[in-house]
Amino acid sequence: MSGRARAAVVLCGCTLIAAGAASSEAAPRARSAATVSVKDDGNLHFLKASGSTLIDEGRATGTIPGEVKIHFTYNGNPAVSAQITIYGAHGTLEVRGTGHLSSPTNPNPSFSGTLTVTGGSGRYSHAHGNGKLYGVFHRRSYGMIVQTEGTVHY
Amino acid sequence: MPGTRAVSGPGVHLAASFSPERLGAATAITFALKIDPPGEAAPPPLSQVDFSYPANLGFATSGLGLASCEPGRLQAEGSVACPADSRMGAGSATVEVPFGPVLVEEHVGLELFAAPSSDGYLHLAILALGSEPVIATVVITGVLLEGHLQINVPVIPGLPDGPDISIKQISATLGGALTYYERVNGRRVAYRPRGIGLPDSCPHGGWRLGAKLSFQDGGRAEAGTAVACPARRSRAHRAGPGRGG
Repeated sequence: MSGRARAAVVLCGCTLIAAGAASSEAAPRARSAATVSVKDDGNLHFLKASGSTLIDEGRATGTIPGEVKIHFTYNGNPAVSAQITIYGAHGTLEVRGTGHLSSPTNPNPSFSGTLTVTGGSGRYSHAHGNGKLYGVFHRRSYGMIVQTEGTVHY
Repeated sequence: MPGTRAVSGPGVHLAASFSPERLGAATAITFALKIDPPGEAAPPPLSQVDFSYPANLGFATSGLGLASCEPGRLQAEGSVACPADSRMGAGSATVEVPFGPVLVEEHVGLELFAAPSSDGYLHLAILALGSEPVIATVVITGVLLEGHLQINVPVIPGLPDGPDISIKQISATLGGALTYYERVNGRRVAYRPRGIGLPDSCPHGGWRLGAKLSFQDGGRAEAGTAVACPARRSRAHRAGPGRGG
């Protein structure tokens, strides 16, 4: 990984709770409705930067595993923001997060905040939900450790 | 595209440059400020300079300031008190020292460091060192806000019972040829921090930067400039966070 440090992303493990009797297997002709408690994690490494926005990617493991890409914006205000896309086996899940960065001169400042599931594609095309976002930003390598937990309805 | 507007103070000229200047790449930013009072008078002493820049420039994601330097120690012990990874840039200033009716110019070196933060914003401590004709060490503090670098200038006393020292010109570069250190397999390895990230695109008319000055006598002045967009062919090279160094 010459020159690029790794990032770890943590999206957390999950518990799937079927809402009512509906599931994609049981009711193939109706759009499934499910509520999933999501807890995932993964590792993210630096891909590229555009000004105050860093773009990282990596692998998420947990409830909705898959490749993850994050656009992380930190412009000097300790209120940071992130747009996260998870490319899962059944579609993509789009998440927006905001958080507060702890210490600007720490080489690895942490951040925590909230997230909102804004949609996606495939199984998650009507997804919505919310939860919490945690992470560590490696200022030397631009990699990240991100942890998410929350509830997704789709 | 320099511009100046004296609201109620002296004329001010601002220039700025990025080096290198490539879309999507890291750069060092230089601000140069010149204060021009009318006639032969010294400029009034400064109290604050607020530099503005596009908020999507990657100051906070620059990898600069991975450690902090306590301003009190900087004042007492000089830059040796500061970790290498707290160094953010360097510059110079020209000040005018009143000796009776005569104004004597003094050249001052500036060293910029990250300072401890209690509010989540990146704070700066700037060491100003003058040696002739007056030996002086002054620490100036600042804070990096969203799209602004706000620098608070203390009163710099001149000779006893004389007027305070005035700043006539300041030039400072954030980023550039800095050496940081990291641990790799237990060894201390030098590297060059990435620098301030430029966005992938440049706004029409270039990146606009500005400076608002406040003076100890209550006067105010403003100046603006723009850094022209780079030629599109420069986009080929994009810098990642290499080990450098």
